Amino acid sequence: MKKQSVIDYNEFVKEDRIHGRVYTDPQIYEEELENIFHRGWVYVGHASEIPTPGDFRLRRMGRQTVIMVRDEDGQVQLLLNRCTHRANAVCQVERGNTNAFRCAYHGWSFGTNGELKGVSYRDRYPASFQKADYNLRKVPRVGIYRGFVFGSLSPVGLSLDDHLGPRVKEQIDLVVDLSPVGELDVTAGVHKYGYRANWKFQIENSMDGYHPNFVHQTFFTNIQHRTGRKLTDLFTSSSPAQTRDFGNGYVMLDFRPYNNAKSSLWRAVNPEVRQKEPYIEAMITRYGTERATELLTTAGTHILVFPNLVLIGVQIRVIQPIKVDETEVFLYPTFLQGVPEEVNVARLRGHESFYGPAGGGATDDLEMFERNQMGLRSQVDPWLLLARGLGQETQDEDGTLVGQVTDEVTQRGIWRQWKKMMTQGTDVPARRRGNGTARQVAQ
Amino acid sequence: MPADRHQVENFLYREARLMDTHAYDEWFALWTDDALYWIPSNDDDFDPQRHVSIVYENKPRIEDRITRLKSGVAFAQDPKSRVSRVVANIEIEEGENGEIIVHSTFNLTALRRSHMDTFAGRATHKLRPEGNSFRIAYKKVVLINNDEVINNLTFLV
Repeated sequence: MKKQSVIDYNEFVKEDRIHGRVYTDPQIYEEELENIFHRGWVYVGHASEIPTPGDFRLRRMGRQTVIMVRDEDGQVQLLLNRCTHRANAVCQVERGNTNAFRCAYHGWSFGTNGELKGVSYRDRYPASFQKADYNLRKVPRVGIYRGFVFGSLSPVGLSLDDHLGPRVKEQIDLVVDLSPVGELDVTAGVHKYGYRANWKFQIENSMDGYHPNFVHQTFFTNIQHRTGRKLTDLFTSSSPAQTRDFGNGYVMLDFRPYNNAKSSLWRAVNPEVRQKEPYIEAMITRYGTERATELLTTAGTHILVFPNLVLIGVQIRVIQPIKVDETEVFLYPTFLQGVPEEVNVARLRGHESFYGPAGGGATDDLEMFERNQMGLRSQVDPWLLLARGLGQETQDEDGTLVGQVTDEVTQRGIWRQWKKMMTQGTDVPARRRGNGTARQVAQ
Repeated sequence: MPADRHQVENFLYREARLMDTHAYDEWFALWTDDALYWIPSNDDDFDPQRHVSIVYENKPRIEDRITRLKSGVAFAQDPKSRVSRVVANIEIEEGENGEIIVHSTFNLTALRRSHMDTFAGRATHKLRPEGNSFRIAYKKVVLINNDEVINNLTFLV
């Protein structure tokens, strides 16, 4: 069973406010790693990053490093990066292709499926030594949806399929089906940046429709100057855009009501792209006019898949806690398979203008997080307010909470899930010993 | 006519000073209209149409960068980084159409809010002679840490 915490999380997360200690307390941070990142579903990578057998990426789940590798049989494996002999890390580089992971320390070698292949000077082990007992340990559960690879370090719990639910999968579909062949291509590299503040500031801010007109005014000014498009009315309190809380910490900014009101057809196609027609025709051929119109108008999504995955427009964003007051953020701009190259180049250039360590938008967010962490040192009143739109939410038939885009419906959804995982351990019991290999692939 | 080494050095030192002192307009004035400014991400060289860059900008995009930095609400530069760099190891080649290719290295220290960060790397400039000086037609900056986490590269590099 889950270790009993001495921290009463109910004291820190109220309906309309949270206590600053949730961002600053090292013990709370340690319990977050255990209860959230080392037990629940965590995004690891995308299958298109490793198309060929032997392709691998070194990734983290909380503090643990895992190798996401396509094995010889073409299966995606998540292997713990730790030799089963003396715990040496067997993989040293972040990406590559290999036919084996060889431990340099005493020469043990493992196949791409984790199987222990070679033990140096095996004759000196006792007769009871069985090679099969010392395969690289696997992330106990692996789930894949549309190429998005998730892992859970707990051997039991809700399947990924049940955890994501139809509403989250629908949002992921909006991202992937912008490809007329229904495939993303996550091969364009990564922006890596970080900040000296708590990891939760990034996930909250990613779903904060209240800040853009203040933090990102330079970006909007430049867009308006270049294109004449005025984006600021998307983020006012009279915008038709919405916030949605699907439960399980899955929250989104829903721009569809705004886009539909603006009749901004074909948002997905950058105005600078000259060869729109072949792409649009391919979309209509594949999906029909109605669905193609919906996909191109919606142009992706803006969703948090708690705790560490954000999908915004063309981008996969992964949030990695490092310390209680240090965070890394990896941004992967994605390509669409089956489109003219020009469409993908426009996706790249659009991404670069806002994102990355020299970008003209997200760097200002990082600055806000560091100012947040500084502000938390002042504790006469230790509370942070989350009351925007409280009591004004509506509810979809399936229970989804809906608010206005500047409402803090999304933040409250994040904190509800956070408290649930920190107090009840959700559906997931504490990690057990063993080398679980259960695999399930969501629809 | 081979480029005058002293003149090229002076140009690079001047550019370094303008970047160090956040002289945005003067730095922007150094670029040609068909300029390309490139800082690769993850690796030192690749096809920028197939791989993301930290910076990959033509003249209008560079102008956006400058407009933003001058706005007073570019919070990543509020407070501004205090920056000092050394440019050295200058090698000069003749390029095409009268352009001059200049290879150099730099060491840069940036101080912001009590944190000192060090950056180092190599730069390649393509300089187009104009009057007694040059304009920058192309600049590529290869950071040694282009595949590492970088928190803030919003000052001029």
